[in-house]
Amino acid sequence: MNAFWIITTGSLVAITCSLLGCYLILRKMAMIGDAISHAVLPGIVIAFLYTGQRDSMVMLFAAALTGVFTTLLIELIHKKGKLQTDASIGVTFTLLFAIGIIMISVFAGQVDLDQDCVLYGEIAYVPFDVWLLDSGINLGPRAIWVLGGVLLIIIAFISLGYKPLYATTFDPGFAFTIGISIPLWHYLLMSLVSITTVASFEIVGAILVIAFLVVPPATAYLLTDDFKKMLMISSGIGILTAGSGYYLAVALNGSIAGAMAVMAGIFFTLAFFFSPSHGLLFKKLRKKRALLQGHEEGATTI
Amino acid sequence: MIKEAKNPVLEIHDLTVTYHKKPVLWDIDLTIPAGSLTGIIGPNGAGKSTLIKTIMGLIKPSSGYSKIFDKPLDEVRKRVSYVPQRGSVDWDFPASVFDVVLMGRYSDAGMFKRIRKADRELAMDALQKVGMEKFSKRQISELSGGQQQRVFLARALAQHADLYFMDEPFAGVDAATENAIIDLLHEMTGKGKTVVVVHHDLQSAIKYFEWILLLNTRLVASGPVTEVFTSELLQKTYGGKLTLLTEIGNLLQREGLPARETK
Ligand SMILES: Nc1ncnc2c1ncn2[C@@H]1O[C@H](COP(=O)(O)OP(=O)(O)OP(=O)(O)O)[C@@H](O)[C@H]1O
Ligand SMILES: [Mg+2]
Repeated sequence: MNAFWIITTGSLVAITCSLLGCYLILRKMAMIGDAISHAVLPGIVIAFLYTGQRDSMVMLFAAALTGVFTTLLIELIHKKGKLQTDASIGVTFTLLFAIGIIMISVFAGQVDLDQDCVLYGEIAYVPFDVWLLDSGINLGPRAIWVLGGVLLIIIAFISLGYKPLYATTFDPGFAFTIGISIPLWHYLLMSLVSITTVASFEIVGAILVIAFLVVPPATAYLLTDDFKKMLMISSGIGILTAGSGYYLAVALNGSIAGAMAVMAGIFFTLAFFFSPSHGLLFKKLRKKRALLQGHEEGATTI
Repeated sequence: MIKEAKNPVLEIHDLTVTYHKKPVLWDIDLTIPAGSLTGIIGPNGAGKSTLIKTIMGLIKPSSGYSKIFDKPLDEVRKRVSYVPQRGSVDWDFPASVFDVVLMGRYSDAGMFKRIRKADRELAMDALQKVGMEKFSKRQISELSGGQQQRVFLARALAQHADLYFMDEPFAGVDAATENAIIDLLHEMTGKGKTVVVVHHDLQSAIKYFEWILLLNTRLVASGPVTEVFTSELLQKTYGGKLTLLTEIGNLLQREGLPARETK
């Protein structure tokens, strides 16, 4: 049963992150997930100091706000300071993360948060933190409910906003001329990335969140030329990653989050070499075949 | 020589645009008649693209305003379509030719509604019009430059707008396709739509357009082609570059247009 809960949790995080990640990598903002997952730390600490609770909606909300604030700050530095986006991301998130770390150490007595937990999480504890109703009914792990809720929100967001999201991602200039608000969709997406990141990293750790945000979408990108398929394939790869990662961890008796991240990398490597459309192997084969065909055609026409 | 159009779809008043305090468009006042195929002509850096971008709201002017169908742009966006000079998109995006053209149906179909079969058919129609139906499933990076240009043209056609702005739509497009598209544009203006095209080739401009804007930061001329295409006005637009003017002189002779029409 524990295996089932852990794999389900991993899969929920994987699907949610992969779906959002497809948009992020195509918007050339893959590392914004990295930035947000670190930069929300001060927001979480402040929310925690106010409410004294770890898993409240307030905390999610505070994190989402900090996330949006982070993206605003990145844009501001990029636009006003004329600094490249990646450099602005680097400046912003290291600063905010550092402030968060200082806050944790200053309020160490009051804050039951530590850097290790933020960075690596502990998915293995998921099955033990269950949601018990007053009547004694066991509703299963709390994480499943939180992550399931987030996943539903993301799916609703993507299916409702499919067209504006697609248009602003692919061709913002065109989106603007047909009256779509580019900032609106940018910040909606960023808020959801923030919420997802925060809801997930406490459970699986920031590194696995970043891995899920970037690696399955990048793998799917290599496997298809169709954006809808990219969304589905990356979710599928996310589930495979969570499942196989769990068993790898059991086999090696190692960290579950670490093993999942490794599996994500292995799937990417496979796609990199063997993808039918973009893989190195098939590209070579196709080139060879095209050359041969060219020779044959040349021979017959002469 | 600035002529008032009788039945204008577009009017621009006192428009000035600056980049970093340097004026790129200076005090432009013009009107464009409904149902015309209009050409915008001028040297590189004359502000042609800037003019269209400003009309489309992509650039904020320092002063002045424009009205489309007698209304501000935001009220009539659905009726206006724009083809940029160079599609500045990521060509490796997982999008097929058809996906791109289908975007032209987004605003008519409703932003939060499903794409209907009718929208797909209209998108396919538009692809056919630019002769690209065979490529509908291709990923967009697997197209030649001219084919990419045609896909963006098809997306604009799929919008079924009433006013089109096309910034050098024929750059890199082969002669046969250019002719086919010009016929298509004439057919559209015949149905009362207005098409404004930035164009560089003076020789074909005479044949294509009914109304011409000559632009070089200032508006040199706006009016019917026969009245605007004088070597004097062209000289003023192109700043008296020798080889070019000789060329235009020859051109005007060949075309039998009055080189210096006196009104
Ligand atoms: N983003 C920008 N920042 C600063 N100056 C600009 C910018 N875009 C254009 N310009 C300047 O504005 C002037 C007009 O540019 P514009 O692109 O409108 O010319 P154009 O008439 O379309 O030229 P072309 O025939 O080469 O397309 C040019 O001198 C150009 O250098
Ligand atoms: Mg231009």
